[in-house]
Amino acid sequence: MEIKVLKVGIIACSGEELPEGTVSRIACRKVLDELRPGQTVTICLPLFIAGGKEEREFASKFPTITVDGCEKLCAAKSTEKLSGKPTRSLLIPEILKKRGVDLPTRRRHLGIEEKTAGQAVAEEIAKAVDEVLE
Amino acid sequence: MSKSKKQVVVLACSGIGKTFGALGREIAYEVVELLRPGVAVITCLPLLMIEDVDAKKLVTENPVITIDGCPFDCARKSVESIGVTVHKGYRAIDFYKAHKDLKPEGIVELNEAGQKLAATAAEELAEEVDRLVAEGNE
Amino acid sequence: MAEFLETTYDKFVFTVKVGNLYSRQDFWAAVDGNVATLGLTDFLQKSQGDVAFLETVEPGFIVGQGEELGNIETIKATFGIVSPVTGKVIEVNQELGASPYLINQAPYGEGWIYKIELTDLEKDRGELLDDNGYFHLMKEKIQAEMNKRR
Repeated sequence: MEIKVLKVGIIACSGEELPEGTVSRIACRKVLDELRPGQTVTICLPLFIAGGKEEREFASKFPTITVDGCEKLCAAKSTEKLSGKPTRSLLIPEILKKRGVDLPTRRRHLGIEEKTAGQAVAEEIAKAVDEVLE
Repeated sequence: MSKSKKQVVVLACSGIGKTFGALGREIAYEVVELLRPGVAVITCLPLLMIEDVDAKKLVTENPVITIDGCPFDCARKSVESIGVTVHKGYRAIDFYKAHKDLKPEGIVELNEAGQKLAATAAEELAEEVDRLVAEGNE
Repeated sequence: MAEFLETTYDKFVFTVKVGNLYSRQDFWAAVDGNVATLGLTDFLQKSQGDVAFLETVEPGFIVGQGEELGNIETIKATFGIVSPVTGKVIEVNQELGASPYLINQAPYGEGWIYKIELTDLEKDRGELLDDNGYFHLMKEKIQAEMNKRR
């Protein structure tokens, strides 16, 4: 019997060192709160890593999309290590380059670049959610 | 080999489900960017999970302060999981409890009260940074 | 027999401890002889968020079923601690003073709030649900909450 998948877990790296980490948070919350509410769940990466039972259970049973701020791919690698390979792995600098959006410069006190970058990444995440749920 | 105490690593959990995750992150930035730049440093918490060499070296060779958003203590646990003892662990909710008039809101961006609370909390962390640096210079 | 009834929505697992009595206001009572221990249900603590402040009454306080025994304040809301039973407060969980988050971490265990010497449990039972009854009510409340968000 084919089971229809109704939810996708989004795992943002939330990396503290780079502005792209902040953008991953902006984008993730935008998808959850505005673009695909009801179809997505955020997996809190630190809780996931620290042993959060609910986060790990969800990630092992449902498709996941990871959103990383840099090539170190912490969210993608952590997810693979703890629950299995993510269904899709998104990289913010690649997305921004593809869409011709300027790189963010601030880690906090968000300016227009950060918000624009967040919107662009959120739209890519939403597109990925739709593809996974097809 | 004794640790160099010239830098103090400040690690926030950055939890994405609660405002206290955002508060912890903001406190960390306030310390490393504004109050103790160059002395207090930050790195990405998830780098410890993927065993990034530079991140592991940073937390192994310097004292570490963690700021967790909630009692799950993810930042503290992440550091301890690689065999490093946290010198001082904070919980962002405790700062709210001490300053009830500054109620933080927002996960992506903190509200004004949250930013004021972060600034207040960061002062306390900055004193701890100073203490750890002074200990290291003894 | 399982210790908890469980249901999952999104990534969240909501539990109901088997053997307790429950009020429709989402408080539980574990009865042992003439004493009931009470606290918040897992559903209530999850939906209201991390407990920041707790105001409690003193031992000796007389309470009726459905009356308030203090307040809880989380980042999301302030709400009353509504007693599921009638009686007299004989003990307040002192651990909660320094560690109110125990209510979130262990709502059916270390996060208990009061012990009450019961006055008329048989009468109180009329308004209470058993574990299965509350489990069904909880699922309805969760569904209603999810529907609101969509």
